[in-house]
Amino acid sequence: MHDVARDPAALELLRAQRSRLADRMRPPWWYLTGVAILYALIFASPFSSRYLHQGDYWAILVATLAVACLLQWGLDRATGIKVGPRPLRVLRDGLFYYRPGRPARIAILVVSLAAIVTEASLIRHGLLAAAIVVAALAVAAEVALQQAALRGIRQDLRGGGGAA
Amino acid sequence: MTAKPDPFIHPITRLSICGLLAAGADWVEFAALRDAAGISDSVLSKQSRVLEDAGYVEVRKGAVGRRPRTWFRLTAEGRQALEGHLAWLAQLEEAVSASTRDVTQARPLPGDRDQPRRVPPPLLDSS
Repeated sequence: MHDVARDPAALELLRAQRSRLADRMRPPWWYLTGVAILYALIFASPFSSRYLHQGDYWAILVATLAVACLLQWGLDRATGIKVGPRPLRVLRDGLFYYRPGRPARIAILVVSLAAIVTEASLIRHGLLAAAIVVAALAVAAEVALQQAALRGIRQDLRGGGGAA
Repeated sequence: MTAKPDPFIHPITRLSICGLLAAGADWVEFAALRDAAGISDSVLSKQSRVLEDAGYVEVRKGAVGRRPRTWFRLTAEGRQALEGHLAWLAQLEEAVSASTRDVTQARPLPGDRDQPRRVPPPLLDSS
């Protein structure tokens, strides 16, 4: 058995291995497409609450949750790494308990709230086209922020997540 | 946390497995761990079983269709042992580089033969 004490580069090797693990955490093409669909559904809520029946509105909400769960499940399976904020831990420890990519996740929340409030206000004033533009811009911003959050997670994996 | 070597984590393959599991992921799948550590399936199976028996690694087995999927996670006990071991390794690395530096500096120059030799500090406590 290779003895680590005789290998002065053991820690260096571990850093290289962590870097390889972090490189696996790159989202496949369908993930970002799915994220765009997810946020499109979220930003459709001000329209659906105004123009759709109550039943259809709930159907969109359920579809949004289903897409979110499917995306997380798919990413775990595609990368072989379960990482990031877990739903049960979020319930127990709060929305931002998970450190890596936290600024990006806070920005995601802020953009979501701002976009939904703006859309609702524009729809109330009859500016439907402007509301659609805001929704489209918000979807693009959310996809970029999701990528930034994943970059934060990759950085954390590379650095060892606090364990040396 | 005390810096001390751990006999279960000491072999480099097991250090790699534990170090990768402690990198920040909740669970890591067999193939991802194997590829990142650069080891074979059989080596990973054997070494992960040793770590599982020691209570350092939790294993969850499942299947997607007919393909078996095995996921690994470091336990709290395993994390604690790894942190102690890595701290010990860091001390060792520092001691080795310090002694190398001292030996380089203590190399006698022409005309320096009468100067006393510097002795590097012991790496480990013999007790």
